[in-house]
Amino acid sequence: MGVVRLCGSPEHAMSRRAVLGALGAGAFTGGALANPLAMQNKRVLMIFLAGGVSQLETWDPKPGAPTGGPFRAIPTSVPGTHVCELLPCTAGQIHRLALVRGINTAEDDHGKGSYIMHTGRRQEPSVNYPHLGSLVAKMVAAPENPLPGYLHVEPGGSGGSSSADAAFLGPKFGSVSISDGKPPANIDLPGTLTSGRDDMRHAMRRKADSRFLASRNTAETEAYTQTHEQARQMIAKKKLFDTANEPGKLGDSYGRHDFGRHCLLARRLLEGGAPFVKVTHTNYDTHHENFDFHIERMGEFDRTFATLIEDLHQRGMLSSTLVLVVSEFGRTPNINRNYGRDHWSKAWSIALGGQGVVGGAVVGKTNATGTAVVDRQVNAGHLFATYFRALGLDPAKKHYIDQRPIPMTDPAGSAIGEILA
Amino acid sequence: MITMMAPLIMALAPGMEPTRDPVARAIDKAISGANPAFAREASGPCDDLAFLRRVSLDLIGRTPTVAEARAFASAGGAKRADAVERLLSHPDFNWYWAQVLDTWWMERRPSKNVETSLWMAYLRESLEASKPVDILISEIVSADGVDPAQRGRARFLLDREMEPVLVTRDISRLFLGANLQCAQCHDHPRIEGYKQEHFHGLMAYLNRAYLFDDPKLKKKVIGEKADGDVTFQSVFDPKKVTKKRAPGLPGASERADPMVSKEQLYVSAPSKEVRGVPKYSRRLLLGEDLKGAGREALARNMANRLWAQLTGKGLIHPLDQIHPHNPASCETLMESLTSSVISAKFDLKAMLRGIALSEAYQRSSVGKPGIKGAEERFLAARLRPLSPEQMGYSMLVATGFDDAEAGAAPKALQAKREGAGKMFISALAPPAGNPDMFEPRLEQSLLMSNHPQVQSLLASRKGNLAFRLAAAKDAEAVAEELYLAMFCRLPDADEKADVAKALQGADKPTAIADLIWALISSAEFRFIS
Repeated sequence: MGVVRLCGSPEHAMSRRAVLGALGAGAFTGGALANPLAMQNKRVLMIFLAGGVSQLETWDPKPGAPTGGPFRAIPTSVPGTHVCELLPCTAGQIHRLALVRGINTAEDDHGKGSYIMHTGRRQEPSVNYPHLGSLVAKMVAAPENPLPGYLHVEPGGSGGSSSADAAFLGPKFGSVSISDGKPPANIDLPGTLTSGRDDMRHAMRRKADSRFLASRNTAETEAYTQTHEQARQMIAKKKLFDTANEPGKLGDSYGRHDFGRHCLLARRLLEGGAPFVKVTHTNYDTHHENFDFHIERMGEFDRTFATLIEDLHQRGMLSSTLVLVVSEFGRTPNINRNYGRDHWSKAWSIALGGQGVVGGAVVGKTNATGTAVVDRQVNAGHLFATYFRALGLDPAKKHYIDQRPIPMTDPAGSAIGEILA
Repeated sequence: MITMMAPLIMALAPGMEPTRDPVARAIDKAISGANPAFAREASGPCDDLAFLRRVSLDLIGRTPTVAEARAFASAGGAKRADAVERLLSHPDFNWYWAQVLDTWWMERRPSKNVETSLWMAYLRESLEASKPVDILISEIVSADGVDPAQRGRARFLLDREMEPVLVTRDISRLFLGANLQCAQCHDHPRIEGYKQEHFHGLMAYLNRAYLFDDPKLKKKVIGEKADGDVTFQSVFDPKKVTKKRAPGLPGASERADPMVSKEQLYVSAPSKEVRGVPKYSRRLLLGEDLKGAGREALARNMANRLWAQLTGKGLIHPLDQIHPHNPASCETLMESLTSSVISAKFDLKAMLRGIALSEAYQRSSVGKPGIKGAEERFLAARLRPLSPEQMGYSMLVATGFDDAEAGAAPKALQAKREGAGKMFISALAPPAGNPDMFEPRLEQSLLMSNHPQVQSLLASRKGNLAFRLAAAKDAEAVAEELYLAMFCRLPDADEKADVAKALQGADKPTAIADLIWALISSAEFRFIS
């Protein structure tokens, strides 16, 4: 028997029930299921499709329209909802996802668009806003959380962790990079050092710190001492990086490519107690040959993502994990002369699901050519308010910088009630 | 050891020494004058050993050795002023400050066309000769890389490939404290003082210069053409009016080219084989103008950077945002420091001495209760992280790296320290081309926890700290030596008891290694208090 097909897509002539049965019997039973008690905590998985994924080749297809491109729309596990045919596996998971098709972020610059989708705000000269990952690290993660609050699994080796992502929340809530899905360097304790001895030397360090910092605590000292604790967490949890321990079939279904490995690692990290994991998939900036690129990129994304959703569900983690598939913007309905699509923020889509989200919901609508939102237009402020509500947090909760109140999400954007459970 | 104890304890009584240094006095006058409640709100001086640690890190880039700490503790007289003088003439001063200037100006770029060692030698020799910093900068922007004896100074330009936009940006950021990059395509949208003509006036000194691959020298050098004007349009201007700009520093008048007949343009005309050398060089004019019309801006930038280097934050912050709408945290102090730089004729040591002798620099880092924003108002010293160099070298020196090399000549010792410190420094440094910024990362803590080179610092080697601790006669002696080496202070009773307890638990070498590790990984070591 070949690889178990994880697609629930009607294209594969397999009912959802049959797929679930196949999954139950096959791929998902090999590994030890996580402790259900650990699953009661809420967590967030953010998949960032860097460069700007095309909404027309994913969540909001316009087959036959002059702007539609060559691909068909296919039915999904939700009657009446169609997605692009490049998502045959994901089509089988649409009943677990909500689609937001009326996004207008009005920002076509990569850096600024990315900032908006990571922070829920437009850039302002006077204040830097924290990433969603940092907000979650601060507001959701328990203090005794077993892993750093904001993990970023990314391709390439140069990313590096960034305390700047946390802005005014303080550097200890910054992102910790998991470059190329590999454990960080120097993760193994020296051969001569037992973990008991390591505990002892850290206890002495902590005592020295508490004496010194009693009269001088600053954000910088806190960030510094925190990195020692994070390092210890990583050392203790380094087995999570052994994705090879997963059953072979499941690994095959995730895909034997970077994005597949990274998503499998993300699930393991979430399972291991990480409150927020971001996985970056690149590069969707398809000014040239948009369609060929999307065939190739979606070819990786689709099956991996569908497997991930199914896997989370099978483990009982999906209902407590808010899953987001976002990008810095979408792509122009207009097809340029290089068969490319350019940056487009006026009318695009995202998908989300899991914790607090109504599966199968679709909100927002674009016109027949996809050039404008015609119903239920939202921006990143609405999205962030929605994420907060989905997590059971108050979007209006304030953070104070020098007595200046800063609401956690842009007060101009209210939550999208239609997709909240 | 016991004979050492008495003077050491006596020396811990803090006391600020009165100083006659004009720079120091001007600093303190500016700070106290700006705050009517100054006397009530300002913290007292830090204790003597804390001062020694602070000033050693700032002037020679490392924590004091135990021997230095003991000598300082038992010294009498104007010991703080004496320590400053000793450090300013210490063999490590030029070695360390060459590295500071390098990180300021090259921002850890990898070597491209000029060997880093030549550039470092140039900086070190300039410091040894007490070359005024304005002249140093003028030489750097005027260098062409042709003369092998002067190759090092050309690194600033050659390793930026003499790319006019990059060089213009970095001269404006690093030497003038004004990041004009956002004024390249239009007047700065938010900063009124940064005009498009400022960027292009500065670039007009440089845009005729080019990177020349000299076939005879087999090296990249800098050539220059005798023609080529800088023109620009604003992207915000609907009429797209093209403007022309001759060389001129921001706010200063333009420097018109002299009228020269076509035959008289070149010393050597540019060709594929020959480096262009014009008779009238706009680029060489820049070196002159920086010392002339640019003097005030150069001085303000130097004052601001030195203040940031020695106190943790620029008076004007960020360092490359000097403009009328970004006032200094204390305007009178900024003015005073700027005029001090000018009256000291850009003498680096005079400025460092002045700052180090000021009361502001010597204050305790613990603020008085209830005083808000004490650091911002210079009422208490700012707790600041060690730079990558300070941390790397201090880890070595504190664990007795220098002690174990006793008898080595200063230059040989410096080279060894550089070799051993390299790995730590690069792990702590920001990416190349970025200014230094403290960003502690998990990866750094893992290195600290597990890297074999850190482990080797904890192991006994003849003369080093672990060796001396193993030979100490009792737990109290261990505690004293350990705390002096690590934190440049004596342990209190609780700390002594903890050390004694740790020594009982495990075998002695293991306990010693763990004690050293715990303190070297602690915030007290990582920060300057």
